[in-house]
Amino acid sequence: MFAATGRLTRLALATTALATLATAASASELSGTITVWSWTAPADGLEAAVAGFNELHPGVTVKVEDVGNPAIWDKITTGMAAGGAGLADVLNIGIDYIGNYIETFPTGLVNLSEVGADDLAAQFPSGMWASGSSADGAVYGIPYEVNTSGFFYRKDLFDQAGIDINSIVTWDDLIAAGPKLKEATGADLIAMDKAATVADSAGLWQLLTNLQGAFYFNAAGEITMNGPAGLRSLELIKKANDAGIVADIPGGWDNFMMQIKGQTNVAVIPAASWAAGVFENEAPDMAGKWRLRLPPSVEAGGLTAAISGGTYLSVAGTSPNKEAAWEFVKYALGTLEGQQATYEGGGMFPGFKPMLESDGFVKKSDYFDAEVNKFFIDELGQNTPVVNYTTDYARALKAYTDAQTQVLLSGADPKTVLDEAAALVAGQTGRTIAAN
Amino acid sequence: MTSSKLQPATRRRWRGSAPRLTPYLFLLPVLVLFAGFKVYPYIYAAWLSLTKIIKGQTTFVGLGNYGRLATDPIFYKALTNTLIILVTQVPLMLGLALLLAVAFNSTLLRFRAFWRTAYFVPIVMGLVAYGILFSTLLNSHHGLVNFLLESVGLPRVPWLADPVWAKVSIIIALTWHYTGNSAVIYLAQLQSIPGELYEAAEIDGATAWQRFWHITLPGLRPAITLTVVLSTIGTLQLFDEPYVLTNGGPNNATLTIGMYLYQNGFKYFDFGYASAIGYVLTGIIGVIALVQFHFLRERQA
Repeated sequence: MFAATGRLTRLALATTALATLATAASASELSGTITVWSWTAPADGLEAAVAGFNELHPGVTVKVEDVGNPAIWDKITTGMAAGGAGLADVLNIGIDYIGNYIETFPTGLVNLSEVGADDLAAQFPSGMWASGSSADGAVYGIPYEVNTSGFFYRKDLFDQAGIDINSIVTWDDLIAAGPKLKEATGADLIAMDKAATVADSAGLWQLLTNLQGAFYFNAAGEITMNGPAGLRSLELIKKANDAGIVADIPGGWDNFMMQIKGQTNVAVIPAASWAAGVFENEAPDMAGKWRLRLPPSVEAGGLTAAISGGTYLSVAGTSPNKEAAWEFVKYALGTLEGQQATYEGGGMFPGFKPMLESDGFVKKSDYFDAEVNKFFIDELGQNTPVVNYTTDYARALKAYTDAQTQVLLSGADPKTVLDEAAALVAGQTGRTIAAN
Repeated sequence: MTSSKLQPATRRRWRGSAPRLTPYLFLLPVLVLFAGFKVYPYIYAAWLSLTKIIKGQTTFVGLGNYGRLATDPIFYKALTNTLIILVTQVPLMLGLALLLAVAFNSTLLRFRAFWRTAYFVPIVMGLVAYGILFSTLLNSHHGLVNFLLESVGLPRVPWLADPVWAKVSIIIALTWHYTGNSAVIYLAQLQSIPGELYEAAEIDGATAWQRFWHITLPGLRPAITLTVVLSTIGTLQLFDEPYVLTNGGPNNATLTIGMYLYQNGFKYFDFGYASAIGYVLTGIIGVIALVQFHFLRERQA
């Protein structure tokens, strides 16, 4: 009896010692396979970080899968709804989805605060960081891409029309220049997907509304899409449309390429920072014709910067290899070496401050004849408001897009359709409409 | 003695139970799949339709989702769109299918096998290829259809960008995709109509039209009942075409109940509401199918 207890105790002690050893070993020598879900260029970037990661953790096999965008959202959503079955270990998630995932599936993503993610917070733009965290501050995503507004314009067309781009300070100035530009060059000022049948077509409105410090929702989660800023934005869009300077180009990648390549003549493309690399790669013939500047403000003296989306890396709650997954995320996004490899491979604009300040990050682009990344760093430096996507962004985006379609195609009154859209979102979500 | 007494008993029992068990064993794979992929989702969706995710917790809300549905303007828009497409597209498609089947069956037509195959091929075409094909054809700026219209002096049509034309585009795509299917069903039924009937009618001096009206159509009635009910159910569940061609737009002009269900489930993660839409759609389909069966069976009798 006594002997048996002794043996048991020894066994228990030995097991504890082994377990301790195992923990100590796993921190330095992880093993197994982790899968990463991303798409096209961002996937290329993460793939490029694998080699450096494997030097630190040779036992881990990293498989980066390009599952396509927007297919990735359906895949993640169904996986989450099935309790996390079939998900990859590391997920690349858009800012417009992450809030809803965090709130709808509380165990779907790993709370990275528990493994030390908070240490990284100071290295990233605060607004972008906050959107990847839950309401109580727990971190679920580390910023991968941080997009700011990229205002691209055709210098050759503005020159041809004799318009000095520097004289354009506000969007009213820009719209006023549109007819003159069209008369001289035949080019429309801007393109929109008026029927919004290919993709949502709210990019311009979101930019204009952001420039006024507002969005679909305020920080308290109330609906503000029909507030003064939202209304002003749609009125600007209507003014441009009524002036006949908005080309009706369906959304989607191919049509975007046609604008970049000058096959569809438009003078201005308000895209995001990620597009800068795309211009250089996809339309080399247009070198010297496209230029980049900060977007005009809505009111003189207002913001000339906007955060226009971004993505995060998260670890799936059901990942069998969470530790290795987190180490990969930390390496790719939280170290200068990893960030450099990722940026080199995919060209996604990073939010990691040491990367933005690193040597050679700001360099002159012959294509745009400018130090491209400087514009985006300047924008990150402006006091842009935290954009609150909430769990109901997708509904608000849809309701807005439908409202805009009515304005652009049948000349509806902006105030009426925005009020209707806000009421619809309120009815669907139970949110209140903010008092103006 | 004991063994000889036992043996028949055992045999009888074996003989008695085997025929009862065997058919079920053969059915087992189907029953398992049916239970796993049909019965379970139906029951689970019924439960889901009574819940709502509140702060990450699936919460029972009784008939709350159904109540919301009753006052949801977008749902009524989706319902109206679906019904408009139903009452225009199904008769159009079945009429065309009937004409095609009669033509395919005619001895006057040469290369009959080729024509039958050609009209049946669209049904096997994948959703994505089909979507790309039609959005390219119907593109308002560089689409082939508008090019042809312009070349004969007609104006361009905003096929996918105008609320009315977008519906027309969906109807065209649907008809192209499924007409062959109904035509093949009609053709099979046509071939079961005895040729003597036509010969007798011809001898009696019946015109081609009279033969069609009094022999072909009554002979096709079972096939017509089948295709009307199947096409109605298919159109009420319409999802593929608006999904690939118009995304439900512009301004929800081609939003169908199926699209709205998808949006709620997969875009807004509102699985409870999506399930409620699914159950209401099932109810609508059930009622319409019952009415159709009742109506068509009475006429048959």
